[in-house]
Amino acid sequence: MAFDGDIGTSRRAILKAAVAAGGASALAACLDRASDDPVPTGDPAAKPARQHAWREYVRHDDHGNTQLPSHQILLYLTVDGTGPPSTDERDALAETLDALDRAYAWSHEGVLHSIAYSPAYFDRFDDSLPVALPEPTALSPFESPTFDRQDAVLHLASDRADAVLEADRALRGERDEANGVPVPSLPMTVDSRRTGFVGAGLPAQHQDAAGIPDTKPVPEVSPLFMGFAAGFRGNQATEDDVTIESGPFAGGTTKVIANLRQRLADWYEEQSHEERVMEMFSPGHAERGLVEGIGDNLGADSEIDQFVDDVESDARTYGRVGHAQKAARANRDDAGEVRLLRRHFESTDDIGSDQPVASLHFPSLQRHLTAFEEVRRAMNGTDLTEVTPAIRQRVNNGILEYIFVRRRGYFLVPPRRHRAFPTPEP
Amino acid sequence: MKRRGLLRAGGGLVLAGSLAGCSSLVETRAVGVPPVPENRPDGVYHPSHVEGMDMVGTARSGDYALGLFYSYPHRFWNVNGNSVSLTEIDGDDAVHLMASVWDPETEAVLPDTGLSLEIYRDGSLVSQEAIYPMLSQPMGFHYGANFGLEGDGSYEVRLHVGAMSTRRTGAFADRFGEPATATIPFEYSEAAKNEISFEVFDDEAATPGAVDPMSMDALPSAFAPLESNLPGRVLGSTMSNDARLVATALETPPEGVGGEGTYLAVSARTRYNRMVIPAMGLAGTLARDGETVFDGELARTLDPELGYHYGAVVDGVESGDELTLSVTVQPQTARHEGYETAFGGLMGGMPDVSIRVA
Repeated sequence: MAFDGDIGTSRRAILKAAVAAGGASALAACLDRASDDPVPTGDPAAKPARQHAWREYVRHDDHGNTQLPSHQILLYLTVDGTGPPSTDERDALAETLDALDRAYAWSHEGVLHSIAYSPAYFDRFDDSLPVALPEPTALSPFESPTFDRQDAVLHLASDRADAVLEADRALRGERDEANGVPVPSLPMTVDSRRTGFVGAGLPAQHQDAAGIPDTKPVPEVSPLFMGFAAGFRGNQATEDDVTIESGPFAGGTTKVIANLRQRLADWYEEQSHEERVMEMFSPGHAERGLVEGIGDNLGADSEIDQFVDDVESDARTYGRVGHAQKAARANRDDAGEVRLLRRHFESTDDIGSDQPVASLHFPSLQRHLTAFEEVRRAMNGTDLTEVTPAIRQRVNNGILEYIFVRRRGYFLVPPRRHRAFPTPEP
Repeated sequence: MKRRGLLRAGGGLVLAGSLAGCSSLVETRAVGVPPVPENRPDGVYHPSHVEGMDMVGTARSGDYALGLFYSYPHRFWNVNGNSVSLTEIDGDDAVHLMASVWDPETEAVLPDTGLSLEIYRDGSLVSQEAIYPMLSQPMGFHYGANFGLEGDGSYEVRLHVGAMSTRRTGAFADRFGEPATATIPFEYSEAAKNEISFEVFDDEAATPGAVDPMSMDALPSAFAPLESNLPGRVLGSTMSNDARLVATALETPPEGVGGEGTYLAVSARTRYNRMVIPAMGLAGTLARDGETVFDGELARTLDPELGYHYGAVVDGVESGDELTLSVTVQPQTARHEGYETAFGGLMGGMPDVSIRVA
């Protein structure tokens, strides 16, 4: 079964082709492709006005929680030369994205995609941007990430590994067609290509990566390496909540993408399930036995809001605080609504090397970028290290001991109508 | 062939260098380490053995100087809140890495920075961990952890120092507030490691006392100031589970502490070796003529003159006052052998103690 028309059908050929396509995640994505069904093509006129309108077009579990597409690719792109892109380049990009829309249905069975632009991109123009889009910055007192300052990032997502890989190859100029539709390559240089996966079974399949102990501790049913479900519907902002409401970019959103290395030896080997529940959710979750296994029993809400006010007393009583508990402190607006829409997925990318290392790509959408910064700072729990010395900078302080931020970039996702090289005042 | 057998055969002080020529046959494992002494006292005691250490290198970055050292893998006891648990040497562990962070201007050792490190070989990740603050008798406060390596060869260790959130005062008030990163190359060979001293004590083990602090030119010591060098009026000292607590009173608070009045500072140090004891929760009560005139937390603070201490502003200290000190959270540092029962530790208990102001 070929995922591509121009290679053979043996397992070995598929393996080689996936490796050539780049990255161990792509390889694994290729191996678990499930269907010989045709991939549905799309109609550009039928696409939603928001590039980030994904929820209606993906799977949901029994509780209505979003099941993000299993296979995802991030292409970090640079515009050649200095100054604004030319009209020709803008037309070329529009043509490529329109072709992608024709090639794939806007669905988890086709390909969902969105292109977003960085502060460095908008700096190419003389006009200023009417949306607050600062340069990325360090957000904790113990991190020194490399900042992604490429011009743009194109995010591709599908439950069909073959579809997302074929789209990726066409966009990078390695083939002329995707899903039988001619697709011109992107009029930009691919500076960095990152891949990943999410959903039950995939993390367990990839747990031979560095950072995960040899005991194969990641449960088969877990959608993420750390062994818990995440992104419960009740703890996520809606797409409406994160959408810019006015101005030329109305219908767009802001996007932060971080990459975090995961080091899970102590997470799995020094801690019981109960202790992991304390550090991921809150000590109260452990005390009341609220989380069974990976936490599917929580349904559509982790109930974290009940435990936010306990964070200081938990620090004193248990000598630990929960990750979700800390972050939620800043992740509610004045009306109590959630501010961030997190769409993170796992990876074995170790950016800058070919070594498979457990990592997490962490895209987050929010109306105002500062919301992300405020939630991340709340997650640092620096204030809690002052409450008791049992809470240290990274130890007993949620999951900070196990995650190491390596990259961070800030982007504006324009509405679909302005997705091709927007000016600051389109 | 086991290192322990050879070491035992020599008795007393045995250098692993006697293994020269056969080191490739020697596995450095827990088998070389004497068992934890029986009948350990509830306090600082002389350990069963002491490993020496070698310097890997030093570096400067931002406000910090950093030193990286290594030795044989160690067993140690982790402290989290009231829980104290033994971390045994793992079969895969090749070394115990120790990092120290200090101020290059004053040579003050800085606890509470947080520290993580990455180990690379030929650009490939070998390990990355947030490593734990520790107390050992020869070295005092440092960050340490055991690591597996991939055999002899050239490694690169990237150290990441976190910004301090601990209150800083005086000339330290606006320093150590940013993280920093430094890279130190590590040329590792098992044979060279096996040249590091490994001293076994038969008679002294488990008796009250401590091995001498070691001295290394490149590494500032983690001593607390001598009582006679503490600024202010020294009010007296007392001991709780072998943590010596020395109280002093400054006429005015150091720069960086809000409020007006007398600054009450308590400097905590290990019995015998005078090593700084950081990361403790400490509360104090000051009573005068049966009336409580202060009752509150003494905040963790780093000051260039007082060193790392616990302090609060009080409404004066007078002769005849009684200062009661209560440890609310035992020192949150891992312990090397000889310190695991002291300062709370395995047997718990740091009783409230009092000082009568002369």
